[in-house]
Amino acid sequence: MEAQKNELLQKFELYGCFQCGKCTGGCPVSLKSKLNIRKLMIEVLLRENLSNMIQRDELWDCTTCKTCTLRCPRGLEPMDLLIGMRALSVEEGHIPKTIIEALEGAYKYGNPWNAAKNKRSDWANELELKVFPQGGKAANLYFVCCTAAYDTRVQNVGRSLVQCFRQIGYDFATLGNDETCCGSEIRRMGEEGLFEMLMEGNIESINKYDIRSIVTTSPHCYNTIKNDYAQDGLEVRHYTQILAEAIEGKNPFSGEMRKVITYHDPCFLGKQNGIFDEPRQILQSIPGVTFIDFDRSRENSLCCEGGGGRMWVESSDQGPRLAEIRVQDAVDMGAEILATACPFCLLTLEDAVKTTGNEEKLRVMDISEILVEVL
Amino acid sequence: MEIIVCIKRVPKTAEADLVIDKTERDIEKEGLVFDINEWDNYAVEEAILLKEKYGGTVTAISMGPEEVNETLRRALAMGADQAIRLTDPGFEGSDGYAIARVLSRAINPLAYDLVLTGVQAEDDGYGQVGPTLAELLGIRHVAIVNQIEGIENGRARVHRELEGGLDEVIDLELPAVLTIQTGINEPRYVSIIGIRKVAQKEIKVLGLQDLGMKLEEAGEPGSMTVVEKVFFPPVGEGAQMLEGTMDEISDKVIAILKEKGGVA
Ligand code: SF4
Ligand code: SF4
Repeated sequence: MEAQKNELLQKFELYGCFQCGKCTGGCPVSLKSKLNIRKLMIEVLLRENLSNMIQRDELWDCTTCKTCTLRCPRGLEPMDLLIGMRALSVEEGHIPKTIIEALEGAYKYGNPWNAAKNKRSDWANELELKVFPQGGKAANLYFVCCTAAYDTRVQNVGRSLVQCFRQIGYDFATLGNDETCCGSEIRRMGEEGLFEMLMEGNIESINKYDIRSIVTTSPHCYNTIKNDYAQDGLEVRHYTQILAEAIEGKNPFSGEMRKVITYHDPCFLGKQNGIFDEPRQILQSIPGVTFIDFDRSRENSLCCEGGGGRMWVESSDQGPRLAEIRVQDAVDMGAEILATACPFCLLTLEDAVKTTGNEEKLRVMDISEILVEVL
Repeated sequence: MEIIVCIKRVPKTAEADLVIDKTERDIEKEGLVFDINEWDNYAVEEAILLKEKYGGTVTAISMGPEEVNETLRRALAMGADQAIRLTDPGFEGSDGYAIARVLSRAINPLAYDLVLTGVQAEDDGYGQVGPTLAELLGIRHVAIVNQIEGIENGRARVHRELEGGLDEVIDLELPAVLTIQTGINEPRYVSIIGIRKVAQKEIKVLGLQDLGMKLEEAGEPGSMTVVEKVFFPPVGEGAQMLEGTMDEISDKVIAILKEKGGVA
């Protein structure tokens, strides 16, 4: 532990922290969880022994939304320190059972949902997609995402996106059953070795089929392939970027929708990658739509708590789910549709609509699903 | 305390569509994912916990081809000190009895206080190896152990699970074989970094000759049972397949439950 502590000290420049508290001030879970990211910065510095620290349940409360890191005036990386602490816990092996299952699933089946590898492309069975490993040729790889591939709710997002891509004449193929988890959440759960394995596998496929351009369903795949894989000469885009570009000029989605729509910024798309405008442009381009923004939107958007492995572990706190607060805000604003562009946000928000009893008032939809309704 | 833990590498079939192979005596293994048998994972964890508490060493033993090294490495990464792989063309087709005999020959010359196995294997589910192994080694055994309370002066106090949630507490002299039930502990996660760290560790390989065994003592000739045929249970009556979207299916399920009096 001594050596590991020194490594954390060096790597995250813990002496550079002047305890200003901006990180904790922006942390969406700090109000309800024992997790205090500022305190973590100094505790790691001061404590002799990290063994007890890495056992704390609240380490798993962080959603890796990255607000703390983005706000730090010293340019430090408190979120990565936290992931580093998780990594120590992962290496020692005593971590929440549901996290173990997700990690083992990613290792064995290539997805954290523990679903069979040879069923990965079943969602597209009737769509007759081009598939690179089956000899398909295309200018772009559509990287589907484990959740869009297997989750029965999110499968509809993949199918809607395929319709949108076809409508705008976007040429793509998938990796079929050869696609494996991008590793975004795996890395953020602290399993760096497994992340590297998954990354190497995907990069091998990318090179094998000479892929130069990737579009993703999920902001999480987008972020990790773009920023963590960081391959030279590989263009990585989120689908909202492609669609926003396509509607400039003659809009191929010409149908009308008389609805009040608001948009929830996924942390991995907005805060972490600055994609705020494209999703809004798409929604505002739909004739009949009244678009309203949340008070807390764009850089200040409230996290839905779906990131950083939180899809696979309950938080240790007792407070209200942030997704429920989000849904209530949307209802209070008079929104009829809560749009988003991330599989995790979609699931957490839709759950929250049910737990808050707002099913009659508010529909949660992915932007691609909305577009399909105005085809 | 010297502990031996016997583990098995099995195909994971919960999510897979199974196909019976040409021999009609086994399933197609091609394309299936293999991993340590779930019960054995708890046995390895228990062995490591005992080592952490009482000191000593843990030796993991498994039977099978080279791929089994992966499972043994996993046990090493969890904290086992040594690994032995038993492999020989003559071992193929062994039933629970023949496997227990091969294991007993490998374990006999070793120094040990405890031998742990899982209660049963996920694939064939026989649950015979542990108790048979104890008989062949000429030592005591307790099956379906869900707690090891303590070990003192060459004796162990263990709990075993009975029907209806009852616990039986047994005090027994060591050495002994304990077959370990799932849920006895929380098996630790084995990280990729952890597995890389033990990648160079030696795995001892032993065959028929090394164990001083004759051909007729293992494999099919040494077995007491033979699998004649594997088949899917015949399709019964009464199942109703629901089709539609998730929402439609849920509505139909609720309607059926209401109709049949399952919910008010
Ligand atoms: S924002 Fe940066 S400097 Fe301020 S307390 Fe947090 S880590 Fe330290
Ligand atoms: S990444 Fe987000 S949730 Fe995690 S500590 Fe930082 S601000 Fe809090």
